[in-house]
Amino acid sequence: MTSFKTFLGAVSGLALTFGAVSAQAEVLFWSTQAQPVEETQKMRDEVVAGFEPGVDYQAPETGPWLTRAQAELSAGSGAVGILGGLHGDLTAVRGGLSDLGDIDISAIPADLAAFGKLETDQQKYIPWMQATFLMVANKKALDYLPEGADLNALSYDQLIEWSRAMAEGEGSPKFGFPAGPKGLKHRFFQGFLLPSYSGSTVTEFRSAEAEEAWGKFRDLWQYTNPASTNYNFMQEQLVNDEVWLTFDHIARISEAFNSRPDDFVAFPVPSGPKGRGFMTVVAGMGVPETAPDKDEAKALIEYMLKPETQIATLRATNFYPVVAVDLPEDVPASVKASGPAIEAMTSAEDALPVLLPMGMGDLNGQFNQVYVDTFEQIVLAGRDIRPTLEQQAEALRALMNQAEAPCWLPDAPSQGACPVN
Amino acid sequence: MSDTATVAPSVRKAGRWVFVSGIVLLCVWTLLPIYLLMVNALSTPEEVNGFPKSFIPSFDLSSLRFFLEFEGVLNALWNSIRVAVVTMILSIGFGAPAGYALSRFDFPGKEVFRFLVVMTRAFPLPLLALPLAVMFLRVGLDDSVLGLALVHTTLALPFAVLITYSLFSGIPFELEEAAFTLGCTRFQAFRKVVLPLAAPGIAASAVFAFVISWNEVFAAAVLTIKNRTLTAFLMQSLDWSPLHLKFAGAAALVLPALIFIFAVRKYLFAMWGIANR
Repeated sequence: MTSFKTFLGAVSGLALTFGAVSAQAEVLFWSTQAQPVEETQKMRDEVVAGFEPGVDYQAPETGPWLTRAQAELSAGSGAVGILGGLHGDLTAVRGGLSDLGDIDISAIPADLAAFGKLETDQQKYIPWMQATFLMVANKKALDYLPEGADLNALSYDQLIEWSRAMAEGEGSPKFGFPAGPKGLKHRFFQGFLLPSYSGSTVTEFRSAEAEEAWGKFRDLWQYTNPASTNYNFMQEQLVNDEVWLTFDHIARISEAFNSRPDDFVAFPVPSGPKGRGFMTVVAGMGVPETAPDKDEAKALIEYMLKPETQIATLRATNFYPVVAVDLPEDVPASVKASGPAIEAMTSAEDALPVLLPMGMGDLNGQFNQVYVDTFEQIVLAGRDIRPTLEQQAEALRALMNQAEAPCWLPDAPSQGACPVN
Repeated sequence: MSDTATVAPSVRKAGRWVFVSGIVLLCVWTLLPIYLLMVNALSTPEEVNGFPKSFIPSFDLSSLRFFLEFEGVLNALWNSIRVAVVTMILSIGFGAPAGYALSRFDFPGKEVFRFLVVMTRAFPLPLLALPLAVMFLRVGLDDSVLGLALVHTTLALPFAVLITYSLFSGIPFELEEAAFTLGCTRFQAFRKVVLPLAAPGIAASAVFAFVISWNEVFAAAVLTIKNRTLTAFLMQSLDWSPLHLKFAGAAALVLPALIFIFAVRKYLFAMWGIANR
């Protein structure tokens, strides 16, 4: 009897779902961003709550996000109204994104908006928010700062010296690096270390300068907490004092500032011989061809671009606005700390902006893997740098040719696939 | 004659000591992680991140309250229960007859059938999820309790078939034959003789199906949107959350399962051959 009732319950649940799908006015915002529960909650309560027809903000992991998006596109119908994700996430579904050329994006800087074209002549996605990476130090670490070093103009050599002094002074390494399975280590190599030494991410991959860069990182690794291969979000190790000095994405260090605002400082990434390489991360919003109500989805995108929504998004996710806004006084401690550091980094004389990988399409994951493999072989497995670079350069060249991806900053523009010298 | 009588008291004492310490070790093995989980879930964020750790919780409910107030948690819990119950019913409804048939009858293709049953577990779910989702979207099963329960049933069915197969095989066919001689039909013999003997085991494999459904994340995350299950709802966001929320979320996931297991523990013992009391 009970079983029969349950079955009926299931069937009526099914019927309810049918009704809900056809009659719902809410826009389903299917996003890989703001995944931590607190951020998801804030996105719902403080950011999208003001959109009149209502928004269902869902933040699944990238795997289910992509599977669901692909399933809806191949089924030819679906529930998702807006696909939100990083540049690379959206690249993976670009074939199914509709043209958003009729949305007014004049407030977004043109070079930023151009990312959203995804190498087509249509506006496939609209930039939503942006972020970058910074260094963070516990104030206790400042005692070990090498003499003459300026926090805002640190070099990689000084960083190594600093980490060495701390490791020797404290008896254990205090520098931490997000080399865990979900850590963003590949971004550090692509956007920071290699450009700072070789002025390139791809073309000079196996140059003598790149060799030097990997040598430096191997030096640094001696004074790096060996548990780093388990670190994914450096805020955790900062908050529990396991690590005093680190590098990570600004959204992944925010908790440190917000929970102990007086204990940490943020500052620009170090520089190398070719400049202070830093990478900017862009997230965007696209409308799939299968969206139940495209006009409403576009209205939501316009709502997300309003300055007040952008500020609310900053509070919720620690990602910065893509349009010009005046930040209010009462921003979270993490924004107060990271804002000046970003300013100092981007306006530094030796600033060397690096773009996210472009044009790699489905090969994005494999592209990142080249850098991760190189790191694991050289630094973790202790293999010789030169042969490892030669070997990985082959893999990288094959990928670039397969994707036919032209060079992006800081590499010099190329005709056809970006060469690996 | 008896060997035990000749064993020296000191050896018996030592054996007893090993036995007791083994039990203590096993208890610590299972209970300590749950205890630490609860302590951390009931502590303030500062205590969770601090060191040294206290073994006595401060009964700070803020982390747990966050989950109760997190939009849709109760709904997700209700969905989880519904999906798990439907999975349980479907997998026993299909699995127990299949198990009975495997143990009592010889039919062509029996071995192939047994092999195919196990084969369903050979493909990882992330691989199956895309075609499944496309199919569900087309036939309208998408985002429904029944649709997800069907997927979970495919996962649980092999276990249900194999467990009930060995269960029925353990009940002598002679008992049924005896019932036939006393005038029972095949169905009556099954209902009055075999079923009472097999019931605890069937219940145990039902519990197993329930747990499989309760723990499954990937299919749930892809196939449901409005009707998320608790695991799909919490688990994927937990990975990206601060430590104190991880503990609170883990407690929120573990508690219902613990309560359920506690409620059905006697059936579980039956599955392991301990007398049903």
